[in-house]
Amino acid sequence: MTSVTSSTSVPTHTAGGAHPAAAFAEPPLRADGLTLAYDKTVVVEDLSVSVPRESFTVIIGPNGCGKSTLLRALARTLVPRSGRVLLDGAPISGLRTKQVAKRIALLPQSPLAPEAITVGDLVARGRYPHQGLLRQWSATDEVAVRDALEATEVTNLRERLVSELSGGQRQRVWLAMALAQQTDLLLLDEPTTFLDIAHQLEVMDLCAHLHEQGRTLVAVLHDINQAARYATHLIAMKDGAVVAQGDPQEVITAERMADVFGLACRVVPDPETGTPMVVPARRGGHIRHA
Amino acid sequence: MSAPTLTRPDGAEARVPVLSLGPLGALHWKGRAVLVCVAMLALAVVAALLTLTIGELGIPLRELPDVLTGNGTRAQEWVLRTNRLPRLLVGALAGAAFGVAGSIFQSVTRNPLGSPDVIGLGAGAAAGAAAASLVWPGFVPASVGALAGAGIAIGAVYVGSGRGFAAPYRMVVTGIAIGAMALAFVQLALARATREDAFAMAAWLNGSLASRRWSDVTLIALALLVLIPTALLLTRRLQLVEMGDDAAIGLGVDPTRTRNLAVGVAVLLTSAAVTVSGPVAFVALTAPQIARRLTRSSGPGMVAAACTGATVLVVADLLAQRLPFGVQYPVGVVTAALGGVYLAILLIREWRRGAV
Repeated sequence: MTSVTSSTSVPTHTAGGAHPAAAFAEPPLRADGLTLAYDKTVVVEDLSVSVPRESFTVIIGPNGCGKSTLLRALARTLVPRSGRVLLDGAPISGLRTKQVAKRIALLPQSPLAPEAITVGDLVARGRYPHQGLLRQWSATDEVAVRDALEATEVTNLRERLVSELSGGQRQRVWLAMALAQQTDLLLLDEPTTFLDIAHQLEVMDLCAHLHEQGRTLVAVLHDINQAARYATHLIAMKDGAVVAQGDPQEVITAERMADVFGLACRVVPDPETGTPMVVPARRGGHIRHA
Repeated sequence: MSAPTLTRPDGAEARVPVLSLGPLGALHWKGRAVLVCVAMLALAVVAALLTLTIGELGIPLRELPDVLTGNGTRAQEWVLRTNRLPRLLVGALAGAAFGVAGSIFQSVTRNPLGSPDVIGLGAGAAAGAAAASLVWPGFVPASVGALAGAGIAIGAVYVGSGRGFAAPYRMVVTGIAIGAMALAFVQLALARATREDAFAMAAWLNGSLASRRWSDVTLIALALLVLIPTALLLTRRLQLVEMGDDAAIGLGVDPTRTRNLAVGVAVLLTSAAVTVSGPVAFVALTAPQIARRLTRSSGPGMVAAACTGATVLVVADLLAQRLPFGVQYPVGVVTAALGGVYLAILLIREWRRGAV
């Protein structure tokens, strides 16, 4: 059929070889027997998954498969019906939420920018977990905000109102707020939604850069090819369960895309990066083509 | 020149307050907020001096310190101590309470319309007070009735919205319905009451500061003493909750607990204020909005809202007492007109700037 080229023809993956230290380290974030539900609708049942240390983990899957739900559980914004999330081996539900916020930063799917807030003020809010009642601002906070603004290249927007910014700029500002938290874990719920392709790649490049600096990233993405290009660890979900996880080279195969997304496709090496690239089959025409 | 967004640097400079306290944004608007509070209080002091000195029995400004320290004529002291001073203080303190309660509710509902007077809290307190004083007189004081009424109203909103205080839009809509029901109950109570009772009740229902006593001052002062510091402690958390529950949790704030605590504080503030001044219209709605716009702040500013609320109510009561029609208007009539007009002006200005 159309799956002439599959990942089997791609050089074997390098899991374990690339990051020997990471392979033995305890995963910083782990879900253990999670059952997740909204009201009465169970979305995820008895799911266990680990986020490898210093990985750029990306969760993919069709709409409604529970990938954002899983991310929300990892970020403790959704309380599991049963099971638990472990942060460095300790149940996250037993930790004070402000303490967790020093370890995990979250970029939610659609955060609300307060009215009339400047970029600088919004990013400064990321410092909340590090502040106390009496110590509301310090030189450390100032440095963290400046670094976050620089890393996301929004320093020159500091005095601007968030409401005046373009979608791409705004997303970078929200990322800056999460960065100002100075956490080693960063969770991103569909960070590229609503952005045009150039701004999507801009955000993804920024994420890759943050990962290179040693942070562990977990993102939910819609675009499989972007996921394959940027992720070091992929988790594919379907109907609330993990279907496959590991190196993108292993996870992204034509068979699996057919299984997970119901998509007939070919998987070819990305001409730019060599990572697996999904090319959907011609609709209705592919039989004739074959 | 009308090409939009091309003149960004100029636009940005014009929009950012000139007060430059280093590169730090947070200090930025705080400086402005302090200025606004000082200006508001200055205005309130002027209105207060006018309230105390002009009237049937004029007390010259020069003699005011003497009268206040007990060295005036007996008539002057009587007017000041039993009439004007408690009235002024109740007005200022109730105004502050309405301002803070409004600020909390608008923050929780993320909606300027989510103020206690719109979502039925004021009406609930009024219905409770009406029940306590007209329908079943003698069981509990009106203040307890007001608190119970406000409590029942907010409880109904909590249950009626289906998701507690976590669904702002539902909360506003449910609140409007609850408010309508509470007002119907008030009308029922009025219809059953004797003519004199109904007349007194109607004046109080408009919001009135006439013939306030020192016991009223004590009640509202004690309430503020406890509740304003609590509200201040919640301000930063409320700011973060305004960005959405997920964002708040990500930053280490429990949104549900923050909201429940804040709503509790606002219910107590509203009940206390309604008890001493009646459900004065629009102060809780407009004061926080006026304060937010003047301070250009990006979150609920409790102190600024309190100062603005106090000023609005004191100025409104001065007007209510001195409007040249020979009638003593209930202050609520004036706040509705005054606050409404000012909010309209501010909104129009914001629209023109394209900031709303």
